[in-house]
Amino acid sequence: MVAVNPIYYIALPLLFAFMLPILGKIYKGLIRIVPGILYAYLMVMSLYLLRQVNITGQPIIVEIAGWKAPWGINLIFDAFTGLIVTFITVLAFLVWMYSYRFKKVEFDNALKYFVLLMLVTVGSIGVVLTGDIFNQFVFLEITALSSYGLTAFYRGRDGAEAAFKYLLVGSLASTFILLGILLIYSQLGTLNMADIARNIHIMKPELKIMAFLLLFIGYGIEAEMFPMNGWAPDAYSQAPGPIGSVFASMTSKAGLYALIRLTFTLFDFSTVSKLLFVMGLLTLIFAEGIALRQEKIKRMLAYSSIGQIGLIMIAFSFNTYLGVFAGIFLMINHALIKSLLFFSASYLAYNSPKKYIKDIQGFGKYMPITAFMFGLGAFAIVGFPPFSGFWSKFYLLLAAAQKHYIVLIILILSVSLVELVYYLRVVHKLYFAEPTGEYEPHKPRWNGMLAMILLALVIIAIGVYPDLITHYIDRAAVMIMDKAQYIHNSLGL
Amino acid sequence: MKKLISIIFLLYIAYQLFVVFYAIPFGTDEVRSKVGKFYLEHSPKDLQVANTVTSIVVNFRGFDTLGEVTVLFLASTALGSILFRRREVHTRLSHLRTSVEASSIVRVTGRILFPMIVLLGAYVFIHGHLTPGGGFQGGVIIATGFLFLLLAYRQFTIDHKTIMWVESLAGITFAGIGLVGIFMGKTFLENFLGVGKLNELISGGIIPLIYIAVGFKVAAELTGILDTILLISITVDETENQTEKNG
Amino acid sequence: MDNLQILKIAFYGASISLIIVGLYAVITKRNLIKIVLGLSIMDNGLNLLFITIGFVNNGTAPIFSPLVMEKYKTVEAASQVMVDPVVQALVLTAIVIGFGVTAVALALVLRLYRHHNTTNIDEIRNLKW
Repeated sequence: MVAVNPIYYIALPLLFAFMLPILGKIYKGLIRIVPGILYAYLMVMSLYLLRQVNITGQPIIVEIAGWKAPWGINLIFDAFTGLIVTFITVLAFLVWMYSYRFKKVEFDNALKYFVLLMLVTVGSIGVVLTGDIFNQFVFLEITALSSYGLTAFYRGRDGAEAAFKYLLVGSLASTFILLGILLIYSQLGTLNMADIARNIHIMKPELKIMAFLLLFIGYGIEAEMFPMNGWAPDAYSQAPGPIGSVFASMTSKAGLYALIRLTFTLFDFSTVSKLLFVMGLLTLIFAEGIALRQEKIKRMLAYSSIGQIGLIMIAFSFNTYLGVFAGIFLMINHALIKSLLFFSASYLAYNSPKKYIKDIQGFGKYMPITAFMFGLGAFAIVGFPPFSGFWSKFYLLLAAAQKHYIVLIILILSVSLVELVYYLRVVHKLYFAEPTGEYEPHKPRWNGMLAMILLALVIIAIGVYPDLITHYIDRAAVMIMDKAQYIHNSLGL
Repeated sequence: MKKLISIIFLLYIAYQLFVVFYAIPFGTDEVRSKVGKFYLEHSPKDLQVANTVTSIVVNFRGFDTLGEVTVLFLASTALGSILFRRREVHTRLSHLRTSVEASSIVRVTGRILFPMIVLLGAYVFIHGHLTPGGGFQGGVIIATGFLFLLLAYRQFTIDHKTIMWVESLAGITFAGIGLVGIFMGKTFLENFLGVGKLNELISGGIIPLIYIAVGFKVAAELTGILDTILLISITVDETENQTEKNG
Repeated sequence: MDNLQILKIAFYGASISLIIVGLYAVITKRNLIKIVLGLSIMDNGLNLLFITIGFVNNGTAPIFSPLVMEKYKTVEAASQVMVDPVVQALVLTAIVIGFGVTAVALALVLRLYRHHNTTNIDEIRNLKW
C-alpha cells in the first residue's frame, strides 16, 4: 500500500506546497504544472480507493504515528467521506485546469495563488477524513485561513474588506468550536470522534447542550448557515473567479460535513434534526429571497449557493434514508453545478469591474459557448431534466413525500420557481437584450473552456444515467446513518 | 443604547459560561483525562521522551503539528499575497535610509544580545524533548532576536530568499520524515529510529529531528512576517494608492 | 472557602472575563486595530481556560526530568503528581493558529488603511456590512 494511501491527500499537497517556491526557482512553469499533476494523481487515487471501498465494503482506516484510535489521530476513508473527498479532488483538478493560465505574467502572485489553492484543498479534505475533533478544528482553520488569503487576492476589488469581514466571523466561529471541544474534552477525556460518540451519554445534560450549541453555531458559521452568513456573498464576489467554485465545493462543504458529523454521529439528541430543519428552512428562504433582488451576478450566485446549503440541511434533517440520500446527491450537484456557473459567470463578466448583470447583457452573441454553459448550469441547478439537478430535487421531494410534509413540498417547489425566475432573468438578458457596449466581451481561453465542457458533460451524464453514482450515494447514505458502524470502524471494537 | 444591549447580552453569556464551567471538576486528580494518563505512561516508556507535552505535540498528535506548521506557512504566504508587491522592494529601501536611527544604547545592546538570543533559541528547540520548550518556543525566541536587530538598525534588511529556502527546506524535512515512515512499512510520522534512553540528548528517535525542523521553520516564518509587517507599515508608498484604485 | 475554591473562581472567572472582554471589543469597537486586539484577547482567554481545565492541585509540569525521577523513583509514581499534558499540547496548537489569524488580520487592516486612509469601520463600507 505504498502507492495509494489516504494519508497522501494531506501529506503530498503539503510537501509540494512547501516545495513550490524552490521548484519555481528551477523552472517557472513548474509552479503551474506540479499542482495539476498532483491533483490528477489524487483524483485517480480517490476514484480507485472509492471503488475499492465499495467493492469490499471495508473502509480504509489510517493510523498516524502508529497509535491506535483514541490515543492517536486516524483518518477514515469510508463510503461517505470517500465520496465527498472524491468530489473535492475532481473539482480541485477542474479549478486548477480553469486557472492554469491565470495571472500568467506575475510569477510571485501565481506562486502564492497555487500554494493557497493547494492548502485550501488540504484543509477541506482533512476536515472530511480526520477522525479526531481537534484535528478537524485545525484543518478547518487551514481552510479558513487560505480562504481569507484567496478572498483578498485581487487588489483592484474590495477583497481586503470582504476578507476582513470573513476573518472576523471565522474567528468567532473558531472560538465557539474550541469552547465546545474543551467542554467535551473536560468531561470525556478524549478527542477522538468515535470515542466521543460512544461515551456521549455519560456527559452531564447541561454541559452536553452547551457543548452542542457551541459546536453547532461554530460549524454553522463555516457552513454559511443563517444568520451568520453575511460574509459569504462578499467573499464569493470579491475573490478571483474560480475561487467562487472553491468556496461552493470545498470551504462550505467542509463546514457542512462537520455539521452533519456533529448531528448524526457525535451527539445523541433526538431533537437535533428539528433544529437542523428550522435553520435550513430559514437559510433557504432568506437566501433565495435576497438572491431575487441582486443586481450583481456573483452576489446572486452566492446567495443561490447559500440557499442550496439550506436545502441540503433540510434534506439531512429528515433523518431518513431517503432524506440523507437526497442530501448527499444535493451536495454533489451543488458542487458541480455551482462550479460551472461560477466558471462561466467569471468569463462573462471578465471585463466589468462591478459585475452587474446588465453589463453582460447580449453576450450570448459574442461568447456563445460560455453563455450556453451558463444557461445549462442555470437549468441544471433549478432542477430540469435531463440534468443531474433534476434527480437530487426529485429525491428530495420523494423524501419529503415519504414523511408527508405536504407544505414543505409546496415550499420547495415555490422556491425552485423563485430560482427559475432569477436565473431565467440572467439567461434572458444574455440572449435577448441588446448589449450596452460598455464592456468588451472577453475571449475565453482553451483551458477554461475545457474545464467547463468537462463539467457540463459530467452534469449531463449524471442526469441521463443517474445509476452512475446512485450506487455510491446509496452506500454513503447507509454509512452516515449507521453510528455504530462508524464507531466500530474507527476504534476497531 | 446599542452598547448597553451588547453589555447585557455579553454578561448573560458570561454567566452561562461560568455556570457551565463551574460544574467541571477543578484541581483534583480526576481532571487527568483518559488519553492524558495514557500519554503520561507511554511517553517515558515507549518513546523515552521526558517532556510529555513534546511527545504529544510531535508524536501522538503529530498530525496536528503538521497542520500548525501549515497554518504558519499559510499566514506568511497569505501575508505576502495581501501586502507584497515586487517593485515595492526597491522603493522601500530608499525610504528606509532616510528614517531615524535608534539610539546608540539600543544598537550596542542589540549587537551584543543578538548571538545570545539565537543561542538560547537553539538551545530551547534542541532540548525540546528534555526541558520545557521546543520548536515553536525556540523559533519564536530566535525571531525576537531578529526583531531586535530590525528595530535597532534601520538599514538592517532580511533577505527574503534565504527565508524562503529555510522555510521550504524545513517544511520538506517535516513532511519528508513523516513519509519515510510509510516507505519503511510503518505509518505516517511513526518513529523509525532507536529511542535511546530517557533524559539523554539523543533520545526519542525522530522527535528531536522534527522539532529542530519546526524550530527552523518557525524562526524563518516569524522573522519573515515581522519584517514584512514592520517594513511595510513604516513605508508610505504613493504609487500604491493609485494603482489600487485603477486596479 | 478553601484555597482550591478561590483558585477555581479566580481562574475560570479570569478566563471567561477575558473572552467576554474580547467579544465586547469585537462587537462594539469601530476601530479595526481594536477589533483585532479584541480577537487576540479572546484567544488568550480561551488558552487560559484550556490550561485551567488540566490543572491538578500541587501538581508539577509533565516532564520526567532527572530531579523528578529521583524524587518519585518510578514513572507511575511521578505521573500521579503531574498535570494533564494534553491540554498544554492543544494550547500550543491554538496559540499558533491564533498567531496566524492575527497576522493575516493585521495585514488586511494595513491594506484597508492604505486603500481608504482610515481604520474606522464606518468609513470603509464599499460592501454592505
